[in-house]
Formats: sequence, C-alpha cells, structure tokens
Amino acid sequence: MKRREFVKKTAVFAAGGLVVPFILPTGRLFARTNTPKADHVVVVIFGGGLRQQDSISQRYLADSQGFNVEGNILYNILEGAAPSSKIAYGTTPAGSPKGSQPIPKLLSQSIQKQGTIFAEMRAISGGHYGGLNSVMTGSGVEGQGLKVRPVNPTMFEYARKFGGFKATDTWFVGNGIGNSTPLLNSSKHPDFGLNYGANFFAPSVTFGGDGRATLANAKIYHPQEELEPMYKMKNFLDNTFNIKAGDIPGIKNTDEEKTRVKDFIDETFRRQMLGQIPSPPVGGGDSSTIGYAAEVLRVFKPKLLVVNMSNIDGCHSDFTGYLQAMHKADHAMGFLWNYIQTQIPEMSGKTIMTFVPECGRNLKHNPILDENDWFGYDHGDANSLRVFGGMVGQNVPSNLMVGSESSPIGKVTDITLTVADILGFKDEVVAAGIIDSQARSLFDRI
Amino acid sequence: MHNFKLLIFISVFLFMSACNKNENKVYEVQNTPSYGDNLNKNKAKSNIEYHSILTTNLFQKPSSVNELTRTDRVIQSFGDKALINEVIIGNYMNTNSVRLPSRKRMVDSTDLFIEETYVRFFIRKPTEAERTWFRNYINANKSNPNFKPELVYTAFAASDEYFFY
Repeated sequence: MKRREFVKKTAVFAAGGLVVPFILPTGRLFARTNTPKADHVVVVIFGGGLRQQDSISQRYLADSQGFNVEGNILYNILEGAAPSSKIAYGTTPAGSPKGSQPIPKLLSQSIQKQGTIFAEMRAISGGHYGGLNSVMTGSGVEGQGLKVRPVNPTMFEYARKFGGFKATDTWFVGNGIGNSTPLLNSSKHPDFGLNYGANFFAPSVTFGGDGRATLANAKIYHPQEELEPMYKMKNFLDNTFNIKAGDIPGIKNTDEEKTRVKDFIDETFRRQMLGQIPSPPVGGGDSSTIGYAAEVLRVFKPKLLVVNMSNIDGCHSDFTGYLQAMHKADHAMGFLWNYIQTQIPEMSGKTIMTFVPECGRNLKHNPILDENDWFGYDHGDANSLRVFGGMVGQNVPSNLMVGSESSPIGKVTDITLTVADILGFKDEVVAAGIIDSQARSLFDRI
Repeated sequence: MHNFKLLIFISVFLFMSACNKNENKVYEVQNTPSYGDNLNKNKAKSNIEYHSILTTNLFQKPSSVNELTRTDRVIQSFGDKALINEVIIGNYMNTNSVRLPSRKRMVDSTDLFIEETYVRFFIRKPTEAERTWFRNYINANKSNPNFKPELVYTAFAASDEYFFY
C-alpha cells in the first residue's frame, strides 16, 4: 500500500469512527447496558405531602385527630378494611354530610396484590420543591432556588440521552404552572439540558379556559402543501441566525413530531368539547390531570410519562379535604392503571407503573382547624421524610411488601434509577455519577 | 495715560478679531432609514414582549394586557415553546383582523415583498444570499396555490431570530 493510500484510508476510518456513533438515532452511542424490564414506564407522583400514618399505616383519624378510628382509605392501592365510622373521606351526595359517600373500589385487585409495595421509604426533603427535584432527578441535592430548572439531569434526560428516545417518547403532565413545576421537564446540566428534555403541559392551563382562548382556534395546515414549505423557510431563517441551541427557550421536537403534537392539541380540544377525554368516574382536581395523562398515553404510547398530583397538600388547613383528596388520588391512580391495561393494547402487559409522594407530612399538627374541627398538618420535620411507594406491571413481583416502619427500605431517589433499570440504561445513569450515591433501582431493593 | 490707550487698543483688537462673518455651511445630509443586522441580536424577548410585537406586526395594534398575560400563562404551561408559539401564530392567522400582503404582491413584486418582510420582522434588510434564496423559493412555489404570504409570515414569526433582539 502506498503511503498516500494508507494515509487516506486511515483518515477515512478515523472519520468514520468519529461520525458513525453520532448518526445513530438521537445520538445513542452504546448498546443498552441491561435488559429492559418493560417497554413503557408511568411514574405517578402521589404528590402534595402524604402522611405515612394516615395512608399506609391505615390509622385514619387515630394518629391525627385523637379519635380511635382506623382504616384504609387507599383501597385501590392497599389491602385493608375501610374505616367504619366518621366517614368524611368520600364524595358528598346532595343532602348528605360532607364526604360521607366513599368512592367505590375501581380495581378488582389492589396494586398491592398485583405488585410490590415499599412500605417505609425515605424522602430527601420535607418540602415540595426539594422533594419533586429528588424524585425527578434521583439526586440528593436540595439547595437550589425556586423557579429555576434542576441543577442535575432529570429522568427524561437520561432516558433520551441513554435510551435514544424522541421528545414525544417522554412526557411530564403537571398539576399546574406554579412554583417550578413547568421547569421540571429538563435540567440545566451542561451535558444534558433542554436538548434531552421531555414534552410538558399543565392540563388545567393548556386545555383550560386560557388555553382554549389562545390555542383552540389555531389553523390546521396541510402537512405537505403548507407545513412543509413553512418549515423549510423557517429552517433556512434559523440556519442564517446562529444562536446557540441552549439560548432558545424550551425543549425541541422535530418538525414531524411538532405536527403530531399540534394534531394532538387540536384533537384534545375537539374531544374535550365532546366529553371524550378519559376521566376517572369521580373527577375534578387531580383526577382531571390524570385523565389528560391517560390521553397522552392513548395517543403517543410514550416510553416514559410522569404525572404529578398535588391536591392532598390542602392538609395545611383542611384535614377533611386532605382525606378526600387522598381517597380521590387513589381512585385516579387505580383508573390510570386500569385504563392502560384495558384501553391501550400497545401498552397493556408491557408497562410498569411506579408511584411515590415527593414528601410526607409532620408528626404533630398545626393549630389550624377545619370545618370538622380537625387539625391541619404541615411538612418539614423528620416524619415528613417517611413515605411509601410501589410499582406494578410486567416483571414486578406480585403481592409483595418490602420494608416496614422498623426496617425502612428505599428512597425517593430510587425512582430515577428504577426507570433507567426498566428501560435498560441503569448502568449508564450510575456511571454518569450524578445521582444520589445511595439510590438503587427498586428491583435491586427486593 | 499711555497704559489706558494701550488697554483700549487691546480691547478693540480683541473685539474686532472675535467677530467673523457667519458662513452657512450646507452638508447635504439625506434622510436614510437605519437598519441593523442579526449579529448583535442575543437577548431573548420575554413571552409578553414577543407577542406584543408580533400582534402589532400582524394586526397593526398590540394585544391587550389581559390577552398578553393569558398568552404568557399558556406558553408557560407548555414544554416546547417554539411549538406552542407556532400554534398561537396559527390562532392569530385564523382571525379576520390579521393584515397580510396579497399573494399577487408576493408573486409579482417578489423582491419588494422579501425586503418588506425582513424589515417588518427582523428590522433589517436581507443579505443578497437571503434575498436570492427567498426569491428562488417563492418562484419555485408559484404553482402551489396553498403557498401564500401567510406561510412566509408564519415562518418569520416562528423563526429563532424573531425571538431575539
């Protein structure tokens, strides 16, 4: 081989070695490091601060208001008999005492029977923001300001970078636009960030009155005759304006994905008018958020969807409302699991749903009394770090309870690694070295 | 006495030398519009700034504060800001009050249309390369009846450069 030919071939191979990994779909460089446990993951943040005593311990009013009334008001998730007196956690039929009508059990088998419950886990923070951050990022970092993106990568960014997923494969359905919720779909980490962020919307705004007035009348353009030339011109304009990708706010969908999402927005308003958005039988509040999450699952069949509930946080000043919101959240989560299994054939039997609150609530009450003269509970003390979680679905052991009050097992930071484990890139997330060093996949806790 | 005469002489000299005939100089400055370029646009508009300017461009008057606040909330509620802005632009384009150039103007006076569009949205004139690209693109799409100024305006309004000032 002549010298010139040798140099040429070497250069070609070297260039190929550099280029080929980047032309693999969405920049994925390596093969998956572990066998995926399921094709899809749904994470439910049973959020707003769930007090351990009132939920998994099934103490109802016994450890909170001084009445000797115990019972399970989360009977779609947990096994256990419901309270037999002082029923205030249900709905309110006309002419009946408030909350006196418990919502009928929706699942034929509880999540506990179908899957695995981690009875005593630990939260990273006793506050919402630190708690949500720790669930979404798997990081133990608490100290960062409100209204900023997380410092460390979210589970979406790991999924897109290491799993090679598109933006429309990852969704975060939020309970609103307050605090930092709309910023939790992506971090500002220099190695991850918006290029790997998830699609996000807050149904109460996007598809509420504001959204309807702003979006519902949008023109639907013909994909080839109109959208294609429009995007061609836009892409030309963008190429002649060299701004750094990170300077453009928001995550990025491809042109093709944008068309799909626009169709989704249009169809959602139409289905909303026709009353076709899936919804738990007992609706309102968090139930509505769950309904729109089900709609995303139906349309996009994403690899990863996170939905955030928060109504139980009313416990600060309304303990009765907190019990009702908790009961309704159990109903909504049961609905979502049932919807996946019965209404989305592409996801049925191929999905794992996992859930955890971002934090618990205080041991001692505050001085605020509600209409039943029951005390409210804030969050922030050591008891607020006591939480429970679980998972259900493909490859999840059934009818298993892990850990107990005397033997805590699991942390909320486990969720990110559990998602990575389920989708097949756990080792890469660990190797990135950013998550809580004590975090484990919940599968490894069993 | 001698000193007094000298003082008068100096004063008269200074007075005389300070007076000059006033010459009217004409510099012949012409009024020329000043346009910038896209090199220094590096500050992102806020949602409210963006839509206030955009609605002024499309409707010849800005939206009300209430409408802008509502729009801001909707943008906050969505992860892909560029996408949701495109939907909002689609909403604007579906109203009767939007004011757009005619397709005839775009086709018959293509160069002028291109220049006006660049000045309207980017506050600058197109470069020769930009002008040529758009001229060729518009000419190539003349036979597509769906190719209207509305699409050109949507592309400009949704472009990255329009997000910055």
